[in-house]
Amino acid sequence: MASKEPEHEHREDQEAPAAEDEDTGAQVAPIVKLEEVAVSTGEENEDPILDLKSKLYRFDKEGNQWKERGAGTVKLLKHKETGKVRLVMRQSKTLKICANHLVLPTMTVQEHAGNDKSCLWHASDYADGELKDELFCIRFASVENCKTFMQMFQEVAESQKPKEENKDASDAAGQLEKLSFQEKAGEEKAVAKQEEKETKVDTEKADTEKKDGEPASST
Amino acid sequence: MHIAALVVWEKLSAERALPNQQTVDYPSFKLVIVGDGGTGKTTFVKRHLTGEFEKKYEPTIGVEVHPLDFFTNCGKIRFYCWDTAGQEKFGGLRDGYYIHGQCAIIMFDVTARLTYKNVPTWHRDLCRVCENIPIVLCGNKVDVKNRQVKAKQVTFHRKKNLQYYEISAKSNYNFEKPFLYLARKLAGDPNLHFVESPALAPPEVHIDLAAQQQHEAELAAAASQPLPDDDDDAFE
Repeated sequence: MASKEPEHEHREDQEAPAAEDEDTGAQVAPIVKLEEVAVSTGEENEDPILDLKSKLYRFDKEGNQWKERGAGTVKLLKHKETGKVRLVMRQSKTLKICANHLVLPTMTVQEHAGNDKSCLWHASDYADGELKDELFCIRFASVENCKTFMQMFQEVAESQKPKEENKDASDAAGQLEKLSFQEKAGEEKAVAKQEEKETKVDTEKADTEKKDGEPASST
Repeated sequence: MHIAALVVWEKLSAERALPNQQTVDYPSFKLVIVGDGGTGKTTFVKRHLTGEFEKKYEPTIGVEVHPLDFFTNCGKIRFYCWDTAGQEKFGGLRDGYYIHGQCAIIMFDVTARLTYKNVPTWHRDLCRVCENIPIVLCGNKVDVKNRQVKAKQVTFHRKKNLQYYEISAKSNYNFEKPFLYLARKLAGDPNLHFVESPALAPPEVHIDLAAQQQHEAELAAAASQPLPDDDDDAFE
């Protein structure tokens, strides 16, 4: 039956008109002349680190339900220079984009409660060329593929972390500095004192941790 | 309300765009979609627009015009899809829906014989206004097991020189074929094909802790909502 359509066969139709497509249509005069153009996937500077057949859904908050977004190939693409990773999914046959978003350290992927071939996450999606908050759910052909995807997604998210955290930390420090400069001269001493105290506590903490045999980097 | 406004706007711009002026800087075509009520015209268009498969039947009133873009090896093209009301068949559609139509799809439902019997009427009405345009006949719902119109019984397209595709808006079987065929005919290029649209680099976003917590709460709630088509694995 048609529902068991072997997709790989049909995919080839994109390259050339298939023999099975007998043209019974009338001869009509074309109304436009189109020239072949250079095609850009936008993915030229990235390497795929994952590539799986799947079906994507988006959550319709108003209707409190999942709706299909597309069926095709989901990819995780790592940028050759920046090392940033994004998720790109294209609809099969039309090759249109169903999802296009960065994988960020703040993201978590979780299993779907009722379907162990599916998992979900939140993203700021750029598929339509504007950022939109979306809850996505993806369904794979097998539990293994779903696990592979979840593991890779989570690994990537974590790999993007250290840099971000350092940035956050230095941002916070910068803001603290600014704040303390804005303090009146009289209060400055108090702040300084408090900071001293905190430093002391920190060193003590580090000492105990060393004693416990914890790696120093854990702070 | 937003959608209604958009529809009106798109309708106006499509009308203004025709016959050969364009509101976008790439080629666009008026595509008229006709056929009996309930054959799946709106569902088919919606499937292409958002990816979703709408099970609920809500008859279209009058017409809804939706722009639908495709990326080809010859650049981007747009179909203004005039999704018409099948239920108005007995009164007939107003000529305005057909005027300046540059290509057409006639849809029937392979699980309802009458919808195929009415194809000649739709074809006649269409050809009264639109002469010599490429037309695709689509037999929809071929995923259903008990079809009433078998592939071999479909012969109208041979008599009238139409292209025929068996499609399923539900399983996506052949769902791109009607557009691909029409695009090839309109451009006179049998080798035209769809290509990957450029995946632009998404801009950086910063998610603060509060937003992150909100997303996690939303995820937890959504995780227990069932997927709409859990049973089918056709995409494998």
